[in-house]
Amino acid sequence: MLTTLIRRELLDNLMTFRFAAAVLIMLLLVVANTVVLIKDYENRLADYNTALKTHQQQLQEKLTYSAGKLEVDRPPNPLSIFNVGFDKRLGNEVEVSHRYVPTLWDAGSHGSTNSFMGMFASMDVVFIFEAILSLLALIFAYDALAGEYERGTLRLVLTHSVRRGYILLAKYISAMLCLLVPLLMSLLLAVILLTTSTSISLNTDDFLRIGGIILTSVVYLSVFYLIGILISVATRRTSTALMLSMFAWGFLVLVYPNMILAAIPRPEAPKARVASAYSQIEQTWEEFDRERKQFLINDAFPGEKTTFEMMASGWYNEYSYGSSSSLWYVYHSALHMKELVKDAESRVPHAQNYYGFLGPRVTDTAEKTWLIRMPALEEILVQPTNMERVWLKLSPAGLYDAATQAWAGTDLNGIRDFFEAAREYRQQVVNHYHNEKVFASRQWFAGDKDTPDWDSLPRFFFQRVDVDTNAKRALPYVSILFMINAVLFIVIFLIFVKSEV
Amino acid sequence: MIWHITKRELYDNLNSLRFALTTVLLLGLMLTNAVMHLREHPKQLQNYRDTVVRHENRLESSAADSLYKLAEQGPGRLPKKPSPLRFCAEGGETFLPDNVEGGFGRWGMDDLESFWILAYPPITPNLRNISPDVIKVDWGFIIGYVLSLVALLFTFDAISGERERGTLRLMLANSVPRHTALIGKLLGTLISITIPFALSVLLNLLVISTANDVHLSTEAWGRLGIIFLIALLYMCLFLALGLLVSARVQRSAVSLVILLLVWVVFVVSMPNTLASIVGGLSSPMSSDEFYERSWQLKRESEAEFFSRWFEEPKDSTKRIELGGAYVAKDAEAQQRLHEELLKQQISQMSRVRAVIRISPVTIVQHLLESFAGTGFERHLQFLENVQSYAQQYRTFIADTDQADPESLHIYGIRKGMSQKPVSPEAIPKFEDTLDLSKDFNTAATELALLTLFVVVLLSGAYLAFVRVEV
Repeated sequence: MLTTLIRRELLDNLMTFRFAAAVLIMLLLVVANTVVLIKDYENRLADYNTALKTHQQQLQEKLTYSAGKLEVDRPPNPLSIFNVGFDKRLGNEVEVSHRYVPTLWDAGSHGSTNSFMGMFASMDVVFIFEAILSLLALIFAYDALAGEYERGTLRLVLTHSVRRGYILLAKYISAMLCLLVPLLMSLLLAVILLTTSTSISLNTDDFLRIGGIILTSVVYLSVFYLIGILISVATRRTSTALMLSMFAWGFLVLVYPNMILAAIPRPEAPKARVASAYSQIEQTWEEFDRERKQFLINDAFPGEKTTFEMMASGWYNEYSYGSSSSLWYVYHSALHMKELVKDAESRVPHAQNYYGFLGPRVTDTAEKTWLIRMPALEEILVQPTNMERVWLKLSPAGLYDAATQAWAGTDLNGIRDFFEAAREYRQQVVNHYHNEKVFASRQWFAGDKDTPDWDSLPRFFFQRVDVDTNAKRALPYVSILFMINAVLFIVIFLIFVKSEV
Repeated sequence: MIWHITKRELYDNLNSLRFALTTVLLLGLMLTNAVMHLREHPKQLQNYRDTVVRHENRLESSAADSLYKLAEQGPGRLPKKPSPLRFCAEGGETFLPDNVEGGFGRWGMDDLESFWILAYPPITPNLRNISPDVIKVDWGFIIGYVLSLVALLFTFDAISGERERGTLRLMLANSVPRHTALIGKLLGTLISITIPFALSVLLNLLVISTANDVHLSTEAWGRLGIIFLIALLYMCLFLALGLLVSARVQRSAVSLVILLLVWVVFVVSMPNTLASIVGGLSSPMSSDEFYERSWQLKRESEAEFFSRWFEEPKDSTKRIELGGAYVAKDAEAQQRLHEELLKQQISQMSRVRAVIRISPVTIVQHLLESFAGTGFERHLQFLENVQSYAQQYRTFIADTDQADPESLHIYGIRKGMSQKPVSPEAIPKFEDTLDLSKDFNTAATELALLTLFVVVLLSGAYLAFVRVEV
């Protein structure tokens, strides 16, 4: 019985103009945008490779350890083609140094970024599904029951011994099958385009992630189809159902996500919290500075010059600099002596002694201030935006966006993983410095005899989290979407069963 | 006769569900817009005033020292005046810098200090912003997206629906010329959407004008009037499109599907996709390349001057001359590099903006921006103001230096320039002006383009309706 019903519905749906239009428009938009997005990804990848090379080269040119600027770069995520998220927007290079613990807020950006071009949003594949496929789902749904009421065919069907639940189920299954056609076809084309591009290499995990995105898309689509059916069964008139569906779509997809953040006041960063955290950080560094000066007074070398009057050619700089907006503070001292003055040899041990003391102290102080900075940053900068994200998720479109970002790894967590890796790498580098006694070495400040062996440094390696973690991050949103589906289905069923034909 | 049909159409619409929904939606959006503006505008204004005060203080403190200090330090940060009509069109202002940096210490060595330049820093301001990406709800969004969708929802069944119900035959059975019927329908729907739109606009302006912090001048009210008219014109475009498709298609369901797809392609998808495609055609200097070249320039001029400079005895006129020439050349070369980068970025952006005008939503947004005094064109105007001020400032320094008989008139070094303090009143001060007439050319082109679209679609709708078989 069910199969007969499904077959009838399928034939009804497949032979319509809207089905043909849906397939055509989805293919057109997805293919056009995927080509653009792949081009964009390739450009970013090229920028990334150039940045890697330049940073390596700049490092090799440095003659001393203290002057070397070790930078790590974040590669673009190939799945950003599906949902770009934060992948393009947030910083993609950060300095790794013993002087501070790197975070997202200390990052810079490599590549050809014309800041004016930021005005144009990029249309990723998920956005097309989010906006357009949901509209198509509503167009498929609005007359599913209202049309049958109006034409009287529902009465005809119910004169047979057919359960009402079956009719509903048959309609749902067949419409979802019809909607799956444009969804899967366009995704398939996108994946084919991805695999033909030589610069993009997808591994098994990536295909699993794409599978997750497809699953989420189907669930999201089903939410909108059920919303359409609900309106259809509740209003019983096609014209009313159509109007209500269109406005429901406009509100859920177009208006709500953009309006809600404007409507809720954005919590200001608590000034007192910022000030207290920053003054604590400053105090820690001042304490460090006192110790440093005390050391210079106590050591055998007269005066407090940190170059120990050895430099014949080269450069040095030494400063403390902080910015309260991101609670950043650094004591910077870099020396790049190419040649030493003639009688410098007697002072070299003094300098080695001093820098052997200074390096570990700077590292320790940086780590001490990190313990203050980390929770404060979380509270000041991250939590207010978490609130905004929660508000956005009140619309299925927001949930869908969040879930697919989590699958693709372009959400905030995915970006922060990179900085987590950068912090781990910093620890490795510092350990290397400690083990090799780099701080107390002559190459720390002078490059006249030996130059640093940059190749012996540990290598930075960043790999995106495995697909399990992605799934774990996406799961809450996907399950909420599932729940919305179940609730909608039950409500529709109850209304339909109770309704008089 | 037209009036008759209009009235019938109007009564039909006023009682409909879509009218009620539209009213609620537009009122909600406009109220949000007003509340948001009241929250943000005072902050922007305060920010602007603070920067102006800092700019003036900097000029005063430099002037109290000497003319040299003025020439070396520069005027400081030059702020962009926020437009009071920013709620009409936000114009991507979050991606545009709100100031130009006029002078910061780049380097110093012995008695040489780097001279100020106008720096347009090539950094993205959004690098640290981790809040979710959304479109700002401004009038541009409400008109461009929501109103156009509403216009299509009002017209998709205007003709096909009547044909389905058979009322079209009834209407044409009277001696009504078809164009009269069409214009009557157009006017009727136009008025029935204008009612909720005008109501929501009035609510919006009421909320905004009752606040103490926002003052709208007579000129601003005039501009708001023009913006309202542009919105009506834009609405006509979508009404005409709706009538055209509705007349061509037999069933209203099909008509709606076609209209929605056209809307999605032209309004939602096309501007962004085209922007990416056209933007990808040219690649301006990257920030890494910029820094590399900046460093290169510095090394080149160092190589040219330093050996000669070190050889000269201290305090000799030759050494002062060389030092001054070095500083002046460095500032000029760096300034040129900054301008080159800016020019490349602007040309990329202008090309993109020219192409995406195919989409009507872009046209209306550009128009709104130019009448609200925000967005990219306005930014270009601000840059022009800044550059002409910089010219004025430099001329002032040169003239004052010429007037001092004790000065050696060697630009670029303390010993070569006038070291007398300058009266702060004499220094030109920067004030950003908002001028509509300057840029009216682009606005006029866009207005003409929009009108052209409307005319073409209207005549299309007319032709389609005339040939319709009832």
